[in-house]
Amino acid sequence: MWQQIEESLRDSMGRVFTKIATLLPGILAFVLVLLIFLIIAWLIAMLVRSVLRAVKFDERTSSTSTLSEWAPRQTPTILVTRVVFWSFVIIGVLVGVSAFEAASAESGISAYVFAYVPRVIGAAVLLFFGTIIGRFLSRSVLITAVNLNLHYARLLATGVRWLVFVLTAAMVLDHLAIGGDIVDLAFGILFGGIVLALALAVGLGSRDLVSRSLERETNRPVEVPVEEKLHHF
Amino acid sequence: MPKSDLAEETKNDVEQAGPVDLLIGIAGAVNKDEMQQYLQNMNADLSATAQSSHVVVAYPGSSELESGEAERFAGAAGVNAPRFLQYSLPAGDPAVLPWTIASAAQKAICSLAVELDAKVCVLLHSDLAMLTPEKLRLFTSPVLEKACDLVVPVYPSRKFEGLLNHSILAPIARALYGQRVRYPLAQDLSCSARMCGKLSETDNTRERSESSLLWPTTQAALNSFQVCQVNVDVQHATQTEGLDLSTVLSSLVGSAYIEMETYAPFWQRVRGSHPPAVSGNAAQQINDGEPVDAKPLIDSFLLGSHNLQEVWGLVLPPVTLLELKKLARSSPEAFRMPDDLWVRIVYDFALAHRLRTMNRGHLMGALTPLYLGWVASYAQEVAGLSPFAAEQRFEQLARSYEEGKPYLVSRWRWPDRFNP
Repeated sequence: MWQQIEESLRDSMGRVFTKIATLLPGILAFVLVLLIFLIIAWLIAMLVRSVLRAVKFDERTSSTSTLSEWAPRQTPTILVTRVVFWSFVIIGVLVGVSAFEAASAESGISAYVFAYVPRVIGAAVLLFFGTIIGRFLSRSVLITAVNLNLHYARLLATGVRWLVFVLTAAMVLDHLAIGGDIVDLAFGILFGGIVLALALAVGLGSRDLVSRSLERETNRPVEVPVEEKLHHF
Repeated sequence: MPKSDLAEETKNDVEQAGPVDLLIGIAGAVNKDEMQQYLQNMNADLSATAQSSHVVVAYPGSSELESGEAERFAGAAGVNAPRFLQYSLPAGDPAVLPWTIASAAQKAICSLAVELDAKVCVLLHSDLAMLTPEKLRLFTSPVLEKACDLVVPVYPSRKFEGLLNHSILAPIARALYGQRVRYPLAQDLSCSARMCGKLSETDNTRERSESSLLWPTTQAALNSFQVCQVNVDVQHATQTEGLDLSTVLSSLVGSAYIEMETYAPFWQRVRGSHPPAVSGNAAQQINDGEPVDAKPLIDSFLLGSHNLQEVWGLVLPPVTLLELKKLARSSPEAFRMPDDLWVRIVYDFALAHRLRTMNRGHLMGALTPLYLGWVASYAQEVAGLSPFAAEQRFEQLARSYEEGKPYLVSRWRWPDRFNP
């Protein structure tokens, strides 16, 4: 009995090691391809950066490009260089997956990965732009609200930022087909809830305030414009 | 400026105009009746102003005064009457700010002066308040008799007017380019032929946006031209209704910052400043009466201080932030922004503008509460002072800008160096 168990375990272990052994060439091929492509990406990125600096790309684009308005900390040269670098890395991953499939006995992996790659790229782009737009709008709202002397400027800016971030997160998850209908449902409930809460707050909580404000506006005497004493220009 | 930049009709007029001694350019749309009145009043004396009879008046094509009518005025006035030329202004965009339109008009007039080979070119505000023989003589005589290349006015001073000019624009022109002019963005000025040539070239030699402004004093400094000032007793009203302060700051200070960036190699070599020759009787100083209530201004600063620390932190070094926090904690009566602090703020924002630390619109928006803080401090400080004493206060501030220039040069050259 004990001998049979021992044989059975040995067989299982053997199968596991065999499986690992069959996967190893694939993993090695994947890592090797990825490394090669990383080196190629780095070299080409360096080359692109040198060329762009030589042709003074930043100075040429700074007067006309709106890119710097959205991502002011990144120069156009750095952005182009990064795009080139990561494009090669992504290509390296795809080629690595193909190499993995070719070097191992597993089949169908690359077909599955290749089908999913466009979704990942789309989601990454969505996340990138969502983050940038969220930050940009938040800062715009904050500064404008401060200059309008609104005391709840920070609250407003935080609200706008999270609104954009939540919207982006929902779009990214939807794009990746993660969560299915739950994401749509949760997002709908969340947004609907916020709008309903605001409507209730204004409709019920501020009813008196609105009516008093309207009354005051109606009864207000016509104001004689006061001459501004300060002139900035 | 190549001839093709002028309208076809204007080019024909230029060819017919012949030699020109004086070109008077109206930098903005003019009212037909007012123009008629002014021309009738001044015809007798105009030729004496230019020391010759060849005078041309240029006005924008969008003006209500059509060319036929202009010729009629000239015909009615006699043989020595000025001739009239129309120039075209860029299409009127309602969003364009008044000084942007004025700058575009000034550039167009300078180009016309080059085409006409005019000896002197006088650029006037469209309210025509300067269109009198005496005032024109004030502007032309330094060019003709003292070999000045650029003549800019000194308007009557008031304590609470032109604060943006006195707190940022004029001190920057002084500290950076060595020109102690009171109004670097003057709305009236006169130029020699070579100065007109330089001003008309600015558009072609540099890629600039449509909203860029013309800075004649900077151009004069760059070319080592002589600048003179004349005292005038005229004040122009600039339509700023409906414009918020951050838009105004963005336009004016943003343009000054762009100039700084463009001419950085030049101004880093400039040492000290020199006062230009001044002619004309010193204008009467106008008392503003009641002091300004600084509380709303302080409140705006405090609101900015509470909410914009994160944004200011990207632009200002820690020591400046600390001083601003101390300022925010001071009582309204003791609210005073030291000159060196204000100067460092303006210089640090210039650097952030150059480095694009953040979106430039945001940057100017973040500067607005700080500027209001300076205005509050200034308003409280000069509340009981005479306009003359207030002028002295501006002089003191301008000296602080000069003293702070090494800080700017150092940060400009080595922006990544540790700056506590």
